[in-house]
Amino acid sequence: MDTVIQISQIIMSVALLLTFVRVVRGPSLPDRVVALELFSTTVVGLVGVYAIKSDVASFLDAAIVIALMGFLAAIAFARFLERGGPRDD
Amino acid sequence: MIDFVKGALIIGGALFMLLASLGLLRLPDLLTRMHATTKAAALGVILIMLAAAMHFAEAGVVARSFAIIVFILMTAPVAAHVIGRAGYFVGSKLWSGTVKDELRPNYDPLTHELKSGLETQENAKRQPRDTDPD
Amino acid sequence: MTGAIWNLLLGLAWVLLSGDFTGLNLLVGMIFGYITLVLIEPQLDSLKGYPARVPRFLGFLVFFMKELIQANLRVAFDIITPPWHMKPGVIAMPLSARTEMEITMVANLISLTPGTLSLDVSDDRKVLYIHAMFLDDEEELRRNLKEMEHRALELFR
Repeated sequence: MDTVIQISQIIMSVALLLTFVRVVRGPSLPDRVVALELFSTTVVGLVGVYAIKSDVASFLDAAIVIALMGFLAAIAFARFLERGGPRDD
Repeated sequence: MIDFVKGALIIGGALFMLLASLGLLRLPDLLTRMHATTKAAALGVILIMLAAAMHFAEAGVVARSFAIIVFILMTAPVAAHVIGRAGYFVGSKLWSGTVKDELRPNYDPLTHELKSGLETQENAKRQPRDTDPD
Repeated sequence: MTGAIWNLLLGLAWVLLSGDFTGLNLLVGMIFGYITLVLIEPQLDSLKGYPARVPRFLGFLVFFMKELIQANLRVAFDIITPPWHMKPGVIAMPLSARTEMEITMVANLISLTPGTLSLDVSDDRKVLYIHAMFLDDEEELRRNLKEMEHRALELFR
């Protein structure tokens, strides 16, 4: 079981890395927002796996909070994109 | 047996997240990227939370992980819709291989009015009335 | 709605009376409660239509899961293999959903199936603009979307 969890953690770290490449490269602001949202979703998955590994169920509460923050950030960024002033990406 | 299912769920969830990030990196334009990220990542989180529910197998924890699943299922499409809409109207370019776009001709960027494209058909069907000006 | 609440209450009563506080036992209680509700449905007006709605809901869940996995694999295949097989495009779908609630549900369901992403609703709430990833067979895609909308509306009406 421990090796399975380690393998999945490695896979998700690679996923975070690839997402980060898109955050840095992303040609426009909406691309970066999408990448940041994927970031928070991946972190929720990592927290869930860590809860299984450490046998502490309270980590799932942290996962709920992170998912909530990611959603609110996405909404706020979308409002900013539609209403925001001039920008140069 | 339970361990095997749990491991399969965890690895499957992690692979779906890797798939989402690969898609984010490889796909050519904003809207196709959103296809990859929201759904694959949501499916990945759902699988991992199912694994967590099976691992702890207590009423409280199972309820919490199902709460996370319902929350993700409700918010992922809303967030995708909001960002996709904003990105499209802000003017992100579509990929050159896009075959058709039925939205662009119906959208007025000055007034932000979005027509349904059915008005002309309805006007054609409409019977003339006495009160109509000549 | 009252049917669902009664179903839950009967399940909770089952859990309390049997003294076994687990999720599995609650499920057993809900199943027995459902059978009870089916039996007394003809005598109570407020329960009308609830027993028929539950199997429809389960059928919809199975249908939706099938679509979700099938379409996810298709997108996955296209991402992993180097050449692009996709033909993305924005199509307009006439809605038969009328109220805001129904439109929200239908748009969310369409967004959740990979390969389609609802972009916007026209100002007069008649047409939903959808970004689709595979437009090889537009007629079939439209038919699938219509079927999903029809099944979803059947559930809420």
